[in-house]
Amino acid sequence: MNPKLTTPARGDSRPANAIFRRRPAATTLAMLAVVIALPLVVPSATLACEILIFAMAVLGCNLLLGYTGLLSFGQAIFFGSGAYVAALAMIHWQVGLFTALLLAAAAGGLLALLVGALAIRRTGIYFVMLTLALTQMAYFIAYTLSDWTGGDNGLLDVPRPPVAIGGFTLFDLESPLAFYGLVAVLFVFLYLGARRVIDSAFGSTLLAIRENEARAAAVGYDTRHFKILAFALSGAVTGLAGALYAMLLNFAPLSNIELPMSEQILIMTIIGGTGSLFGSLLGAGTIVILGDLLSALWPRWMLLLGVALIAVVMFMRGGLWGGLESLGRRRAGAARKTQEDA
Amino acid sequence: MRRDMLSSTNRFTTPRVSTRLLPATLLAATLGLGLAAGPSQAQDETPITVYGVKSLSGSNASYGKYAEMGSKLAVDEMSATLGRQIDYVSIDTEGNAGRAVRKVQEAIAQNGARLFNGATLSSTALAVGKEVNSAGGVFMTPAGADEITGSECNSATFRWSVPTYGAIQQTLVPYIDSHPDAKRFYTITPQYVFGEALLRNAEKVFADKGVEHVGNSYHSLQEQEFSGYLTNAMAANPDVLVLLNFGSQSSNALRQAVNFGLNQQMDIIMVWSSGLEQLQELGNDNIDGIYFGAQYWHEVDTPANRELVKKVKEAYGVTPNYPLAADYTMTKTLLQAVADSGATQGETLIHALEGRTYQGPTGEETIRAADHQVLKDYYLLEGKGAAEMTDASDYADIVSSGQSFLSPAQSGCHL
Repeated sequence: MNPKLTTPARGDSRPANAIFRRRPAATTLAMLAVVIALPLVVPSATLACEILIFAMAVLGCNLLLGYTGLLSFGQAIFFGSGAYVAALAMIHWQVGLFTALLLAAAAGGLLALLVGALAIRRTGIYFVMLTLALTQMAYFIAYTLSDWTGGDNGLLDVPRPPVAIGGFTLFDLESPLAFYGLVAVLFVFLYLGARRVIDSAFGSTLLAIRENEARAAAVGYDTRHFKILAFALSGAVTGLAGALYAMLLNFAPLSNIELPMSEQILIMTIIGGTGSLFGSLLGAGTIVILGDLLSALWPRWMLLLGVALIAVVMFMRGGLWGGLESLGRRRAGAARKTQEDA
Repeated sequence: MRRDMLSSTNRFTTPRVSTRLLPATLLAATLGLGLAAGPSQAQDETPITVYGVKSLSGSNASYGKYAEMGSKLAVDEMSATLGRQIDYVSIDTEGNAGRAVRKVQEAIAQNGARLFNGATLSSTALAVGKEVNSAGGVFMTPAGADEITGSECNSATFRWSVPTYGAIQQTLVPYIDSHPDAKRFYTITPQYVFGEALLRNAEKVFADKGVEHVGNSYHSLQEQEFSGYLTNAMAANPDVLVLLNFGSQSSNALRQAVNFGLNQQMDIIMVWSSGLEQLQELGNDNIDGIYFGAQYWHEVDTPANRELVKKVKEAYGVTPNYPLAADYTMTKTLLQAVADSGATQGETLIHALEGRTYQGPTGEETIRAADHQVLKDYYLLEGKGAAEMTDASDYADIVSSGQSFLSPAQSGCHL
């Protein structure tokens, strides 16, 4: 692998990557601090759960958009299917927590593999349109299979099984804080796993594809295989998030598999910062908390989210993480200049 | 007036709510802690907190606005009547069932919330009902899915609106009885659980009355362009076009039918309208001579409704519509039961609601104990032209009204 391929070519969305690569331990510690502090600083552990669950979904989206350069509107397929598969397995087969989560990840990954294999046959706008069309198809399938999915009414009575090994219950997850503990542990593992992937040769190849697919192919990489694998990884992570969301709500609404869910995950990814794993946490937290606060102030609060998205795209092309990084760099530069002047 | 044995549901709007008013929330939290710590009996000096699950933002914000007005009016009225402090906290569903459930969970866990009402979107109502039931609270909803007082009923959930069976019985049956020449009916149906329930009930009425169902067009829940379905309807040459969709879809279908001149060729019945708000939005040109099914109409001549119309005009300067009347009635009924039983949650309050008969806006209303369905009238209205209106809200005349509910056994509820 040519290491130069991993070096950002432009300065737009790269600052986040830059600091991420320079100080990975710092961002990991920052992530851990946020995960520990989150239930203490937001109004409830339930809200903290929602933030982390969406941060997982954004993490999955980031693998595609941020690290592979694939703008997919198919994330709702993986999120919704993860929710349905885990819920149905728990309801009808009485499977335990970890089996349900594994099945959700497998379903998300498998569907993503299929979606990816089809969608990457086209590039650019046609790729995006294919993911849009497939999401609409998935929605109508879920809507039509109402005996299984509950249709428009949603799938009710989704259990939240305890953490158990061999029939022996270790932790009950009924309390919001206990469930947050599980979500937090899974998020940390996924975050660290995603870091390993990004820092691996496989991750470097994804970055190479994002920067210049033709060049990556020219040096001998089968870019289609890499992109399909990126899809599968993204789908597995997003499916897991969907399953946790169903367990949180004890309910799997049809909206999980609707296009607006894909849009929401994409907006969180862009606002947090594409190409930044820590940005996933920032993006999900910002949108979920802003939604909570703004909806109490103004019925048309979604308009403000639109303005925020425009502002980020226009003025912070690395998202919130890129903005923070840029601010830090400016302050460091100013401090250096002051020292030199002195 | 018919009084078959029965019950059903309806649905259409999406609730969203806002959790504003930090002081109120803190107060609710205080109350919640008290409730969590002790028995369910509320002391007279203890404030009561009602949580309104409303669609205050998002796609159904206009519905939630009126629902919120109704609940607040009832809270103010009952505070004065009972001489007790009653707090009202709204929960904005944002038009999203998942978000609504999470906020309700939050209110239960953080604030000890137990008294809920609202949630007009069926998916939200079903899921919120389950959460409230798990927490030992009480929830009253106007949502329409048959399952709410049917297969998914639970002891905490009560429903004010008439379900699909009653809506069909109280619109198609009186229409057919009064129009013996109408023999051919065409239906347009949204293809999902609610639409299928309406269609199933309509087909039964067609069979029972010996009229011909000459065709049906299914459409998706996202459809807004109905010209193709209307062309099919015209080709079938029916005497009556029956719209089984609701909300913006029924409005768009009706507008396009009128544009096509179908109202000159056949009668049109919209079985599930949202009442005054929808008729105002459609305007006289689109409603003249059209039949509408409705849960509530402000011109119903009952003591409680006359009082409600007067209060709403005094408080807000408007004529009450369905969401306002529904949420006003539910909130008031809930609070009256709290006052009578002294309980703000649990079995005592549920028993106080079960079998309760009260004077509601539609006349005498009874909460059936077996499935928690409120037995109330449903209305068949006929839209008016502008020249026939006697005041700014006089958009329709009541053609007939009555009650039709499946028995709890027929609806599948086992409490």
